Amino acid sequence: MSSPNPAQPAQLRQIPVMALSRWLREPLLHFLLLGAALFAAWNYFEPDLAPGAAATEIRLTPDDVLAMWTFFNSQWQRAPTAEEFGRMVENKVQEEVLYREAVAMGLDKDDTIVKRRMAQKLQFLAEDVAAAYEPGDAELEDWYAANADKFALPGRISFRQLYFSPDERGRQAYADAQAALATLTDQSVDTELAASFGDSFMLQNYYADRTPEQVAKEFGPVFAQAVFGAATGSWQGPVESGFGWHLVFVDSFVPGRQPAYAEVAPEVKTAWLAQQKVEAWRKAYDAMRAKYTVVLPVLPDSVDGLPAAPVASGDDQASQ
Amino acid sequence: MLDSAGKRRLSLVMAALAFCASSAVAETPNPERNAYFGETHLHTSWSPDAWLFGNKLTGPADAYKYARGETIKHPLGYDIKIDTPLDFMGVTDHSEYIGISKMANTPGSFASKLPQVQGLIMTDPNSKEQQQRAFLTMVSLFSQPPIKELMKPEVTGPIWKENISIADAANEPGKFTAFCSYEWTSQTANRNLHRNIFFRDCAKVPVAPYTALDSWHPEELWKWMDAQRKAGNELLAISHNANLSDGWMYPTDVDSMGRPIDAAWAESRMRNERLVEITQMKGQSETHPLLSPNDEFANYAILSVLLGLPATEGRINKLIGSYGRQALKDGLALQDVRGYNPYKFGFGAAADSHNSAAPYRQDNFFGGHAMEDGTAETRLSGHNFAGIDVRYESPAGLTGVWAEENTRASIWDAMHRKETFGVSGPHIKVRFFGGWGYDRDTLASEDWVKRSYQTGVPMGGDLPPLKGKSPSFVLWAIKDPTSGNLDRIQVVKGWTQNGQSFEKIYDVAWAGDRKPGKWTGRIPAIQSTVDIDEATYTNTVGAVELKTVWTDPDFDPSLHAFYYARVLEIPTPRWSTIQARQLGIAPPDVVPPTVQERAWSSPIWYTPDAKARKAAPQGMTVAELNKRGGVALDQASLEKLLVGKAIWLRNNVTGEQFKALYTKEGQSILQHIGSENEVPSLTGNVALAGYRGETTPYQITNGKLVTTLSQASLEITVYKLGDKYYAARSNEFGYANYEFLAKPPVFLNPLGKGETAGGGEDPHPGGA
Repeated sequence: MSSPNPAQPAQLRQIPVMALSRWLREPLLHFLLLGAALFAAWNYFEPDLAPGAAATEIRLTPDDVLAMWTFFNSQWQRAPTAEEFGRMVENKVQEEVLYREAVAMGLDKDDTIVKRRMAQKLQFLAEDVAAAYEPGDAELEDWYAANADKFALPGRISFRQLYFSPDERGRQAYADAQAALATLTDQSVDTELAASFGDSFMLQNYYADRTPEQVAKEFGPVFAQAVFGAATGSWQGPVESGFGWHLVFVDSFVPGRQPAYAEVAPEVKTAWLAQQKVEAWRKAYDAMRAKYTVVLPVLPDSVDGLPAAPVASGDDQASQ
Repeated sequence: MLDSAGKRRLSLVMAALAFCASSAVAETPNPERNAYFGETHLHTSWSPDAWLFGNKLTGPADAYKYARGETIKHPLGYDIKIDTPLDFMGVTDHSEYIGISKMANTPGSFASKLPQVQGLIMTDPNSKEQQQRAFLTMVSLFSQPPIKELMKPEVTGPIWKENISIADAANEPGKFTAFCSYEWTSQTANRNLHRNIFFRDCAKVPVAPYTALDSWHPEELWKWMDAQRKAGNELLAISHNANLSDGWMYPTDVDSMGRPIDAAWAESRMRNERLVEITQMKGQSETHPLLSPNDEFANYAILSVLLGLPATEGRINKLIGSYGRQALKDGLALQDVRGYNPYKFGFGAAADSHNSAAPYRQDNFFGGHAMEDGTAETRLSGHNFAGIDVRYESPAGLTGVWAEENTRASIWDAMHRKETFGVSGPHIKVRFFGGWGYDRDTLASEDWVKRSYQTGVPMGGDLPPLKGKSPSFVLWAIKDPTSGNLDRIQVVKGWTQNGQSFEKIYDVAWAGDRKPGKWTGRIPAIQSTVDIDEATYTNTVGAVELKTVWTDPDFDPSLHAFYYARVLEIPTPRWSTIQARQLGIAPPDVVPPTVQERAWSSPIWYTPDAKARKAAPQGMTVAELNKRGGVALDQASLEKLLVGKAIWLRNNVTGEQFKALYTKEGQSILQHIGSENEVPSLTGNVALAGYRGETTPYQITNGKLVTTLSQASLEITVYKLGDKYYAARSNEFGYANYEFLAKPPVFLNPLGKGETAGGGEDPHPGGA
């Protein structure tokens, strides 16, 4: 592997001064700064592990001890006994001893699980940085305007349905529904005539104020589409569902609409944050990735099922 | 059919279907309860094993999006979308690494600056003296008014905290419920003893979950759960993959610590473990054909492996102790004989996918382990990983609950009272009520649900005290509108007598005009419409809805019993058949080409009161035998009695008479047992083996006859009382239920219709 490029990521050199305040809000910068701070803190507070310190000394800090104590308390709703406390300390010591011995033996090297675990921690770290920033209302409103479709409120429908059951009528269900429709045309929904048609059904005869998703869950997506497309104020159909055939009478339809920002501000913030995390991770990774050159092997032609020369990603060149 | 306004509306609808954001209208609670379908077992990239499988892409927030119908990415980068969005979900990442903080716990942070805690510094933690000093400092510190800063949860679990905040963000009362939950992953010696933990209220969850690193013993987990409950933090556990537990999920003698099971253990288990996953992607845990030889639908979604077993190691997952129905039966026997039942659980079902999303349908199956099973080619080539051949994987199941409204409290309470059912993927709805007064008219009335609640109990409950001759049950099921029609509803009954337990399956409602067998009462198989070559089926057979009121025709009020409903769809092509067709190869022959999707209701239990119990047949116990002067045969006497002999036995519980042969070479067989005979638990398929002449090895060791049923050793002790011999099996809880017949019966199935047989002598005496 080649050595990383020195110092700053390439982008940093090109930042105009005017953009600095915006840049200061960049999750990537926070990520890099936090990384540096963590490194410094680690060196400062972990003198035991610094080169030169006795590798065989294990020093527990008040935090370590407190953490164990608090943890026990939260788990068991009581303080540990002296014996339990001693055991916690011993466990901690054992973990530290085995960890150090393992590291000394190089067992962390080339261990897939260790590698992936650390890679995962780095991703969490990058995402955390994004979460630390508090957006202002104006910023969120702008973002909302650009992503309005994610917050559209669905339409709502109220309808009555008559069910023609294939369990009861077999293949006649459709024809029966059609015949019923002919009789019901121009009849009002409350007519007793309507009630005389159709089969009893354990789902409801009347559904009030339902979204397409709710109707689809109950009757299947095909039926939901048809009902939301049906004219209001008269019997319509036959409409097919996953259960059989129906006649529907749509009382009312409230079209979907775009809510005002204020109505959905908390949801907007949540969605914004989720996107920031994805972005923060992507940028952090891109910046780290940019430091590396990848050298891929050229495989002999004789290997079956593999391309003769692997394709390198990004700007990297396959070299020999 | 559509006018132009309708068409415009339609396009709006389609947009709305794609993105269903928050809405202002909340449901009103329904006292007759709605069916909600949800996921109770799902991993994301936050689970370390998911990360290892190659899911580095999606976390819990993506999982909730998928559950609500949004398209997300499979870890391999392609789009995945759920067929029918869910009503609730709890992401259950493995807790064992959740406690490892996302951001390294900054060393020497806030606490070290507090003067009160300086006595805590331990320079040599190995020193008992320093431990003691730190401990005493701590005691004095905590006996003062608590220092608030010290109680802050900063010390532990940022990932766990983030998990909770994501669940809170996804939770929308009335529309979608997101639970705070995690998986306790006990996997000692490749035995799956996992449990998913569900909290009722996210505001009260502990700072960190209790993990299998703290202890792998379920008993310790229950203790921790009890402590949480005592502190006002309600929670419950759902165990899963009993089928992969090597027989450790449902012990009947000793617990995981090797201590005898007792009433306290049973209570602790039932206080905490309210539900089990009856099925999931890694197989069903309802029952196995060897345990349920008379259940023609038991041969379904079987997976029997030890997870993570090295590919060269020779251990085989044990079947006995690994299935729920047997545990329910054992629970009844334990209740009857010892007075406690540790296995009175309800049913749910789930995924256990590690993709932050799960496939619930055969025709939308994308595996559950990222790159290990993420393409049709990988799957159908039988990728062999972590002990699993991925061809055996099934689509994910779901848990159905009957709850008043879609909120954490309402759904959690339904889970706690076991008013739940499991489905194998499709949203089949099933109602099941038990009582003493239901009749045909109950279902005919408009308000049958209300009446059913009023006069009986729903699934998960206990029948009210005996009133009348036999309990009756209201059963109703409706198909998923996007899946196959229904074939039938069955009632699975279990009961116990004298330490033996039994099961019987009744077909109670079915599609079409099929007639029950005159003597068996069984409904013949429904016609299959599956075209295996084309991987298609049609809904031209089966029913949309099935319902009935059923009364137990074999009820004995003196015996403990349970009942649960099982609903079967018509046969449809399995995912492997569908994808084999896409690849133009033969469907894999290690699994069936078709499946019958299904739903299982939680059981309803019947417990005889003291008076009814007294009427039960007494039966002969080992204790009674000893009291009357019976003597257990020693090694030599037992060998003399059995080796190279055939003996005739009667099961005094069922009255069944049969022959047992023991060869000098160590092989045994039971003969003359019929396929419709009610055989006691752990007998195996003796009807088939006896008919085919398939033998089982036996040994006589330490004065006991030892046979095995799929690795489980069953010991038989023979007692002599006067001139009579009795045999007691080790799994029949202290009863000696088998009596030696003095001579072979002349007629094995006496008709009582004047049959004759040459004076009752054996027509072919020895040597003839």
